[in-house]
Amino acid sequence: MIKEELYRSMRKAIVDGDKPAARQLALDALRLGLDLNEVIDKGYVTGIQEVGGLWEKGEYFLPELISSAECMKAAMDVLQPEMTKANVKSRSLGKVVIGTVEGDIHDIGKNLVASMLQANGFEVFDLGADVKLERFIEKAQAEGADLICLSALLTTTMLNQKKFIELLGKQGLSRKYKVLVGGAPATRKWAEDIGAQGYAENAAMAVREAKALMGR
Amino acid sequence: MKRTILDLINERPVLLDGGLGTELMRSGLPQGACPETWNTGRPEAVKAVHASYFAAGSDAVSTNSFGGSRIKLAAHGLEARAAELNAAAARVAREAAPAGRFVAGSIGPTGKFLRPQGEFTEAEFEEAYAEQAGALAGGGADFLLIETQYDLREALAALRAARAAAPSLPVFVTLTFNAYPRGYFTLMGNTVVAAVAALEKEGAAAVGANCTLDSREMVGLVRAFRQATRLPVVAQANAGKPALAADGGVSYSQGLEEYVGFVPAILEAGANVVGGCCGTGPDHIRKMSEHVHKNTGERRDK
Repeated sequence: MIKEELYRSMRKAIVDGDKPAARQLALDALRLGLDLNEVIDKGYVTGIQEVGGLWEKGEYFLPELISSAECMKAAMDVLQPEMTKANVKSRSLGKVVIGTVEGDIHDIGKNLVASMLQANGFEVFDLGADVKLERFIEKAQAEGADLICLSALLTTTMLNQKKFIELLGKQGLSRKYKVLVGGAPATRKWAEDIGAQGYAENAAMAVREAKALMGR
Repeated sequence: MKRTILDLINERPVLLDGGLGTELMRSGLPQGACPETWNTGRPEAVKAVHASYFAAGSDAVSTNSFGGSRIKLAAHGLEARAAELNAAAARVAREAAPAGRFVAGSIGPTGKFLRPQGEFTEAEFEEAYAEQAGALAGGGADFLLIETQYDLREALAALRAARAAAPSLPVFVTLTFNAYPRGYFTLMGNTVVAAVAALEKEGAAAVGANCTLDSREMVGLVRAFRQATRLPVVAQANAGKPALAADGGVSYSQGLEEYVGFVPAILEAGANVVGGCCGTGPDHIRKMSEHVHKNTGERRDK
């Protein structure tokens, strides 16, 4: 059961934010010729899920979240090139276009959500901050996205989340993309009122919500 | 000698102002525009907002410089104007202040992170904050209010810089906390006890909390601060969470009456300096003034 032990160590490396261990364990997985999708799912991703839970409980804070996400990236940097070389398709939970809406330059929360979505297996296209509403649609169309995530920190710019959903409707795309909104002022009720399919209060909830929207 | 803000705090509770950015938008500041540019571009509009808060009963108003550090201004490509815009912010508020009232030089977070989470060093933060604090002092601020900080390390960098650049001004520091079952923590995981101890050591004149929590939740947080320090405690709560209003705009979940209803409890819990944050305006301050200035014999004109 060396495999199970390896997965447990991967999980621990992510939870502890131990980057050298995360990288070394990925190299071990390659050396042992393991199924890399399974390594990611049963090893690393279980770690990032635990980190998300600790964050929601107030046990972990931003520094821990960032260092765990970086460990995840370090492991993926080892695994991804090998998967590409071996023509193994990495399992993606879905394609996400994310950004902070126009008029709003705040990106701390958005960056956290983007890195947690990525760490959990979504393909993430991050448009940055102060993003024109039309740009979200262009990018979603170009990449064949499943989800569009809109962040806003200000009560004034959160109105652009509403405008975006109206814009999607006008272009006849309401059914094509699911919209997830977040940011300090956003609430579940707000999301419901403006017709967004998803709402997340924090990065861990964003992952759960995005998975649920993808039917997982 | 002139009565200072600290003298006033020794005598009675002190009332700050409420939201500034939202008031400026009501006056026509376009969404996404840098509010600090109005300190030179539309000073009369900024002055009018300050004046409305003084009229409502504010003992002190905070300058239009929350995002005025060079690092934050860089998001708008305005970093070269940091000194000019901060000095103007203090001047405009000074002009609006009646005799005996105070101007707080507002210093918000950079919006960036220190290493290892971000790219910045403490020295870089201190340089930017020193420039801002010096300009606010030069423009006539009576004290500095480093506010809405989510990282104690950044708050300490700002405090050190402010003390060095404006040695004659008292510096108040507020952080923003989330409430968890385990207690109150900043985004970075700083506790009230750790924050207070470090800020005291670096010479903060007052400490406290603002934003994130509503006025009901703020009561417990103020109590935690009171237990941790003998310094004056500052509390500026949000008016709850925003929601879609009937007119298609945004309204806040705590109504005016409910918000102000917790002010006596906030004072009772040990706050010496109170004011509003997101979702509050001059109406909130006017109503708060009835509690804050109740026994002072210097009730503000209605």
